[in-house]
Amino acid sequence: MRLNPLTVKKIQRFRSIKRGYYSLLLVIGLLVFAAIAELFINNRALIVSYEGSWRFPTYGAMIPGTEFGLDYSHETNYRELREIFREEGAGNWVIMPIVPWSPVENAFRGESMIPRPPDFARRHFLGTDRENRDILSRLVYGFRNAMIFAFGFMFFVYLIGTTLGCLMGYFGGTFDLIVQRFIEIWSNVPFLYVVIIVASVVTPTLGILLAITVLFAWTGMTYYMRTNTLKEKARDYTAAAQVLGASTPRIIFLHILPNTIATLVTFMPFTMASAITAITALDFLGFGLPRPTPSWGEMLQQGTQTMVIAPWIVTSAFSAIVIVLILITFVGEAVREAFDPKKFTVYE
Amino acid sequence: MIPVRLPHARLLMAGLPALVLVFLAGCSCSTQTTWPEEDITEEELAHYAANPDFFVYKTIDDLPADLPWTRNDHLPEIGSPKAIRGGTYRARIQDFPRTLRLYGPDSNSSFRPFLLDDIAIRLGHLHPNNPGDHEYYPGLALEWAPDPDTRTVYIRLDPKARWSDGKPVTTEDFFFMFFMFQSPHIRAPWYNNYYGVGVTYDRIIHYDERTFAITMAQLRPDFVGRVLNLVPLPRHFFRELGPDYVQRFNWRFAPTTGAYILTPEELERSRRNRGRITFVRQEDWWANDKPNLRYRFNPDRIRIRVIRDTPKAFELFLAGEMDMFGMNQAEFNFDRLPDHHPLVERGLIHKATFYNDVPRPTWGLWINSARPHLDNNDVRIGINYAANWDLVIQQFFRGEFFRMQTTADGYGSMTHPGIRARPFDPNRAMEHFARAGFTRRGPDGILVNEAGQRLSFNLSTGSEALAGVLTILREEARKAGLDFRIEILDASSNWRKVQEKNHDIALSAFGVSVEMFPRYWETYHSSNAFDVPFLEDGVTPNPDRRPREQTNNLESIAIAELDALIERYDRSESLDEMRELAFKMEEILHEHASFVPGFYMPFFRTAYWRWVQWPDDFNVRFARDPVEMWLFWFDEEKHEETRGTRRGSETFPPSVRIFDHWAVPPREK
Repeated sequence: MRLNPLTVKKIQRFRSIKRGYYSLLLVIGLLVFAAIAELFINNRALIVSYEGSWRFPTYGAMIPGTEFGLDYSHETNYRELREIFREEGAGNWVIMPIVPWSPVENAFRGESMIPRPPDFARRHFLGTDRENRDILSRLVYGFRNAMIFAFGFMFFVYLIGTTLGCLMGYFGGTFDLIVQRFIEIWSNVPFLYVVIIVASVVTPTLGILLAITVLFAWTGMTYYMRTNTLKEKARDYTAAAQVLGASTPRIIFLHILPNTIATLVTFMPFTMASAITAITALDFLGFGLPRPTPSWGEMLQQGTQTMVIAPWIVTSAFSAIVIVLILITFVGEAVREAFDPKKFTVYE
Repeated sequence: MIPVRLPHARLLMAGLPALVLVFLAGCSCSTQTTWPEEDITEEELAHYAANPDFFVYKTIDDLPADLPWTRNDHLPEIGSPKAIRGGTYRARIQDFPRTLRLYGPDSNSSFRPFLLDDIAIRLGHLHPNNPGDHEYYPGLALEWAPDPDTRTVYIRLDPKARWSDGKPVTTEDFFFMFFMFQSPHIRAPWYNNYYGVGVTYDRIIHYDERTFAITMAQLRPDFVGRVLNLVPLPRHFFRELGPDYVQRFNWRFAPTTGAYILTPEELERSRRNRGRITFVRQEDWWANDKPNLRYRFNPDRIRIRVIRDTPKAFELFLAGEMDMFGMNQAEFNFDRLPDHHPLVERGLIHKATFYNDVPRPTWGLWINSARPHLDNNDVRIGINYAANWDLVIQQFFRGEFFRMQTTADGYGSMTHPGIRARPFDPNRAMEHFARAGFTRRGPDGILVNEAGQRLSFNLSTGSEALAGVLTILREEARKAGLDFRIEILDASSNWRKVQEKNHDIALSAFGVSVEMFPRYWETYHSSNAFDVPFLEDGVTPNPDRRPREQTNNLESIAIAELDALIERYDRSESLDEMRELAFKMEEILHEHASFVPGFYMPFFRTAYWRWVQWPDDFNVRFARDPVEMWLFWFDEEKHEETRGTRRGSETFPPSVRIFDHWAVPPREK
């Protein structure tokens, strides 16, 4: 694929901004790690060798205990299985992930529900929360959920915002007028109240939360896309395309949109940051994802309640949020700088 | 004309913002409002005249001779003679009260105990140590005489009994109480029904100013208590009762028979800043020397602060700004203020655990048996076996609570002695699920039936604090192939949901008062489950029945046999017969398995600063919290001595005590 020389220039410029570039690499690294987190943080074994055959339980359907000669039909407890195999010494073995805890698992079954400090021997590297669950595991899976939410949020906000914005700018006139007035009214609907009302009626899932937040967030994007389209529409190449008989969608999406992409790209990291903040805030307030879904907001909320007796909860959650938001902001700043047209402007 | 009108228009324009301000100010401060003149007397007398069989006037000569008058003098006195009056009790509520009314909308709040439940003196009170069998000691009554043959209790009022505004308590006030509770003006349907003509009470007979009699509609074993529990209403104060009662009386402090009052100045002040309310003890309270009341209600003032946040309230307690703090939650007792905490070790803060013996709130899983799959008895029994309450008690309540066994625990001999809640047993759960068609596990370990439906139900609660309970239940239930989708709603939304019967399974409880025997009609009668529960034969379930909303039958139970038993139970005059019926009903309910008995707290626990003093036996058998009976007092000397030592190094003898003289051991499995 041959890239537009201008784009190449922008990418080069982005790479030259070291802080943003390395932040992006780190974020990508974190995303990849979160995507395959089951291999590192999970209560399912990586490999079980039982009577000569190998099983890989990480992905796929659960394997009942009976398959490994245990007396129960629910999912195998692989940590116990490992100990049993060790004691039997019959050549069976189990390889567990580095952190052998799932994010929704009661790590101290039968013991009091109290937050416990980091314990390296039990592989609770960041301790446990007040429901006896591993904090590191919840952090990582919470990050994954937040990122899924953020990407989904970004996709739909941009899809709706860009489409409507471009159409408004391109058609103008009555259509523009009506949609703008609608947006003005719509953006005054108090988003938080709607979430509270919905959460009091149904338990929100990721999809419902995404739908509600997108429903109220797409309006901001339309303004930028509208102005951009207005500007581009007046250019000669648009007129040329019209004269050549190109269809309206073709002109908007193939000719005008690529020329406004700079705006979209510069906004992306900031949209992501605000999406992460939004889902965390909703979870913090108790209107977010259903329990026991791992989530940063829920952890932060626990942390503020147990600040005195279990400072490690709030520290972990807070640090994670701050680090991720800072990284994304660094990326965003670098992107903005790379796309800044002023670099090429000469004042006399 | 225009030049003439213009100044007026300007004036009007200028005046408009001012008007708006006045209007807004008027809204927030209804005590300033002048209310139209009202006088209820005519309506009241007309009501008496219209119900001559309920409101009966006789003369004192009509009073039957040789009635068995009693004062129950033989009962041991409550409270400690060592108690000293004085000091300020500093308490906390979560929200500023929305009204001072005792009845009508918003009145049943956590503030009402300070006005009514724990403070007001009734005709008589249940002796809270229960030395006999639910015997009463006199309050407003000087003495009383039960006459079972006529279902009537005769009352002689204590001549000393006074309202807090100095007016004597008279028979008229009891007549007026019935009138007001029967009046639509108070907008309290429950009262309208319960006190309605012929529902619970049949008649009130006026003999003279201080002598009257009340006849019950039915002769129940607790009929004396039903009469003695009455609290009169001050007739002279409610002259202005009318359709605007709810607004007019919203912020008026009604004269009380209790020791504590709210002065108009204090009311004004607290309504302005909404941060605290102070009650003052009447110097010359009429019951100052009355046995059973004289060593109680000791503080001179009660200062209640509005503190929404529990952790914040706890910090204020540690700073000595509150006298006591409830330590029922294990987290507070073991993590935040453990016995080795410096303030406890140095003897500044004392702790006490008191085991009580009261009917227990019905914490457990309320299964809505009208929902798909949950209408199958095997599924419900399976859920019973799949609920690991022992682990919940062990982990979440740190082994301190006990497992509930029936739907009515804590009623002494009225509680079924033999029934045991089903233990956690995934294999037996799966046997029952298999019988209901859920035979194999899906890829996520949850059972599915032939049609591919998963064995999955919503499990909802309105208590954020109990989220940990649901987490444990959910994880353990998965072992039996049962999936719970956890729903934590705010308390009022969850309540609405279960009242509309929209829940699958709810973790909830009904509060219960200290009563002689449990109630079944509200929670288990079919008329509270469906509009038309049965077909004409009275047994076959009606296929088109619709759930009845706003009732306590959260399990949608409709069993004809059970209905018959409940009706007999509610008519029964003999406690022995009632016991037999209650046991039979418990057995049916156990078989129906739509209630998974959960847990109960066999004690209450409190931490208090060392200047708070208690009777030697700390509290009474029927107490549900340490303050309820107002037995404590303050030692001002100790208060002085302790002041300012919090940050110092002074030590006093520590005190961490457990009072288990009323403890009821858990029933063995």
